[in-house]
Amino acid sequence: MASTSRLDALPRVTCPNHPDAILVEDYRAGDMICPECGLVVGDRVIDVGSEWRTFSNDKATKDPSRVGDSQNPLLSDGDLSTMIGKGTGAASFDEFGNSKYQNRRTMSSSDRAMMNAFKEITTMADRINLPRNIVDRTNNLFKQVYEQKSLKGRANDAIASACLYIACRQEGVPRTFKEICAVSRISKKEIGRCFKLILKALETSVDLITTGDFMSRFCSNLCLPKQVQMAATHIARKAVELDLVPGRSPISVAEAAIYMASQASAEKRTQKEIGDIAGVADVTIRQSYRLIYPRAPDLFPTDFKFDTPVDKLPQL
Amino acid sequence: MDADSDVALDILITNVVCVFRTRCHLNLRKIALEGANVIYKRDVGKVLMKLRKPRITATIWSSGKIICTGATSEEEAKFGARRLARSLQKLGFQVIFTDFKVVNVLAVCNMPFEIRLPEFTKNNRPHASYEPELHPAVCYRIKSLRATLQIFSTGSITVTGILF
Repeated sequence: MASTSRLDALPRVTCPNHPDAILVEDYRAGDMICPECGLVVGDRVIDVGSEWRTFSNDKATKDPSRVGDSQNPLLSDGDLSTMIGKGTGAASFDEFGNSKYQNRRTMSSSDRAMMNAFKEITTMADRINLPRNIVDRTNNLFKQVYEQKSLKGRANDAIASACLYIACRQEGVPRTFKEICAVSRISKKEIGRCFKLILKALETSVDLITTGDFMSRFCSNLCLPKQVQMAATHIARKAVELDLVPGRSPISVAEAAIYMASQASAEKRTQKEIGDIAGVADVTIRQSYRLIYPRAPDLFPTDFKFDTPVDKLPQL
Repeated sequence: MDADSDVALDILITNVVCVFRTRCHLNLRKIALEGANVIYKRDVGKVLMKLRKPRITATIWSSGKIICTGATSEEEAKFGARRLARSLQKLGFQVIFTDFKVVNVLAVCNMPFEIRLPEFTKNNRPHASYEPELHPAVCYRIKSLRATLQIFSTGSITVTGILF
């Protein structure tokens, strides 16, 4: 049975002599031991993790867990509630074949919307394969926004999508609005609006997006080799430094750089393919490409192997 | 940058939005049928009336509230509003021109240089917000003046806001 690592919001027990020491958990005895002096700090600590691991393809009928779901004290305010399970014997059905005690729904009604939103967030994140830490951050953000109630009128899904976007930004792996749009039912406009409102409500700010953030993802989606990816990163960075593309979104600049790098190498990609991957219109790529084309020789890295020389690059 | 010699920097007011009230209920259908240069938006419940002389578009609600947009200066807004009230009076409504208030003023000005938006945002962190995916301009808010500036990379700046 693995110990949970969600110790952030729980009151931290620390050794009185060594407050900075990270306690070691001895799960067999249920103790928390200070590694410095060996003092048993926590006694009979209850493991609040889940009893069984659940997988998404498991049938929902047979739930072997005897103690309920794993406690999530960070997010819902206490998950302690009683549910009446589905009956199994003959006595639980009345004369028509319907089960008595149909009411097994009422649990933590105060935060039902929040739990729904968490489920939605997990589903969205699952679609684009986001790691657990981003999902946790999103949940935290959502909780903060929900408690503040300043965005109460907005659709919860919109707030959830915007929180997901912010969480990705904060973790340093930004996703474009269009990517979040693809996994959510909310329009880009609404997500953008909620995004600005949330930043104002939580009084945080996020870093600006750069071209390099998206390179690895777009290039691997296009199955481009590492050389091309590094070249594209270099081109985009140089283009921004030389201010060849003022006022262009970093996504468009990144796309144009990928196009230039791929056209100069053996793995050529058309503008349409690149536009499909990134959600950018191919006219936008064409515009940005026209801006960086004149300085093409300066933008490539010095050790790049050209399959098509610089002067033979397509001019659009 | 001789910023001292060009303090005013040819700033041009392009739009003045004002509201006023006619202290009477207006029959939108009658205005739509008999008025000149009107568009009746029945689904929303308002009538758009466009004037030629001060080039103004007015949104008229049946409650008597009217919003006037498109004027290029405050006096012109007042003229246009009065002219509008007069035309409603000619249609037969007992119009009283009350509560005239300028709600929003929009102005543009042009900087003679280009602006690097990412660096600008970094240096003006709390006031400036820049989202290239959503809008190509930096949104700079001055709270004390209740103004919002949109700064584009070409150097043109749009200022909007009200000061009472």
